Amino acid sequence: MPGSIYRNKLTTFGSLLTLLLVWHGAAALVGREIILPSPALTIRRLVQLIISGGFWSHLAATLSRGLVGFGLSYLAGLICGLLSGLFRSFKHFFHLWLTVIRSTPSMALILLALIWFPAETVTLFVTFLVVFPLITQNVTEGMGQVDPELKEMARLYQVPFPTVLRRMYLPAILPYLATGAAAGLGLTWKVMIAAEVLAYPKFGIGARMDTARTYLETPEVFAWTIVVIAISFFFDRLLQQLIRKKLLYWE
Amino acid sequence: MNETEFTLEGIAKSYGDLLVFSGLSLEVKANRIVAFLGPSGCGKTTLFALISGLKTHDQGRITGLEGKPLSYLFQEPRLLDWLTVAENLSFVLQNKIPPVQLTERIDYYLAQMEILPYRDTYPRKLSGGQRQRVAMARALAYPSRLLLMDEPFKSLDLSLKWALITRFRQIWAAAPRTVLLVTHDPKEALLLADEIYVFSPRPAVIKGYHQITLPREQREPDALPLLQLEQQITAELIRE
Repeated sequence: MPGSIYRNKLTTFGSLLTLLLVWHGAAALVGREIILPSPALTIRRLVQLIISGGFWSHLAATLSRGLVGFGLSYLAGLICGLLSGLFRSFKHFFHLWLTVIRSTPSMALILLALIWFPAETVTLFVTFLVVFPLITQNVTEGMGQVDPELKEMARLYQVPFPTVLRRMYLPAILPYLATGAAAGLGLTWKVMIAAEVLAYPKFGIGARMDTARTYLETPEVFAWTIVVIAISFFFDRLLQQLIRKKLLYWE
Repeated sequence: MNETEFTLEGIAKSYGDLLVFSGLSLEVKANRIVAFLGPSGCGKTTLFALISGLKTHDQGRITGLEGKPLSYLFQEPRLLDWLTVAENLSFVLQNKIPPVQLTERIDYYLAQMEILPYRDTYPRKLSGGQRQRVAMARALAYPSRLLLMDEPFKSLDLSLKWALITRFRQIWAAAPRTVLLVTHDPKEALLLADEIYVFSPRPAVIKGYHQITLPREQREPDALPLLQLEQQITAELIRE
């Protein structure tokens, strides 16, 4: 198998190289950095950003906002998902709410939030409303997949509910918790940047991107975009590592 | 002789138009192994559901079961894959057994079932027979007055079945409790039970009742008195 892993890595590298070449070619063809900056220019701009003062504050602001928003959504989604899985009436009651929230365009949520809340709250509010239904749905689905025979066994042996929750339900839905986390976290960064662009908090990558756009600093828009992609990629990888280690250890 | 463990009087149960029992009455004595034999779908599992309180009966009276702890052995092991063998036992026991005795009790029953070396193994790593041993250790370690066994040997091959039955008999003899066994296999019933009820197809009525006097430890699969009784019971099962 090491051979195939090596081949996979080579393919990934080739794919990245092709992407850069296409980008470079397109930039050369367009010939105007204000429309499409070349990869080299973008990297140069990125380095400039990093060594300039504000970069880390903006990065930290977006990161902390994203993680707090995601954390709150995840916790709330977990609780609502568990309740939906345990009580059918709760599931049916809540289903309509979730459908309404999920069908509302993110942009509508952002615009309304801008009317109601200060900039800082807008980003959290919007992230919550986008990620929370996703997690709830995942957990509910996971709860529905728990083997009814195991549930019956726990009931017949009169195992107390806290034990059943901790040692039966939570481990059983772990795969769903993991996929929910991966999908939710990916969505978090997308929605967070959109909310930052419009809410324009003092610190935040989205706000910087919008400023750069206003001044037609296209290379800076590209540089920040690469930062966001890197954030998303980093957390996705981190999660994958955690999942591989923690999940399915009993197999 | 033995005191009564519980009684069923005139039990009726139906699911919609489907009549499962109409006026079933029987008495089970304490510390006896009682087998219920019958064709598939005759209501044996419903009988257990009524006894365990999973389902309620439409008519009649069940007495002697109020508040009694029951343990179960199912056709499938029903183990939690993410808990080790020992943790699977503690999952049902930890609320019933003082913490200081927990490990000792778990290890005792695992040793009785000859699976102590696997106490820290996850169920997926065990064979089907080993998993059923874990389930049996769990049922026996649970401090119950009554043990309900629903086709517990069904998915095992003959030699495993025989090994498990012998093991069960030894452990039971050391600490008897009331056992109800549901099966469709007359041989299983004959090797284990003191009494056998033979049920008709739905709606189930008692077609035959047998007491087995041959001491359990002398009951080999090919013992002549058992073979004769097996023929008789098989005939009862087949006869309309």
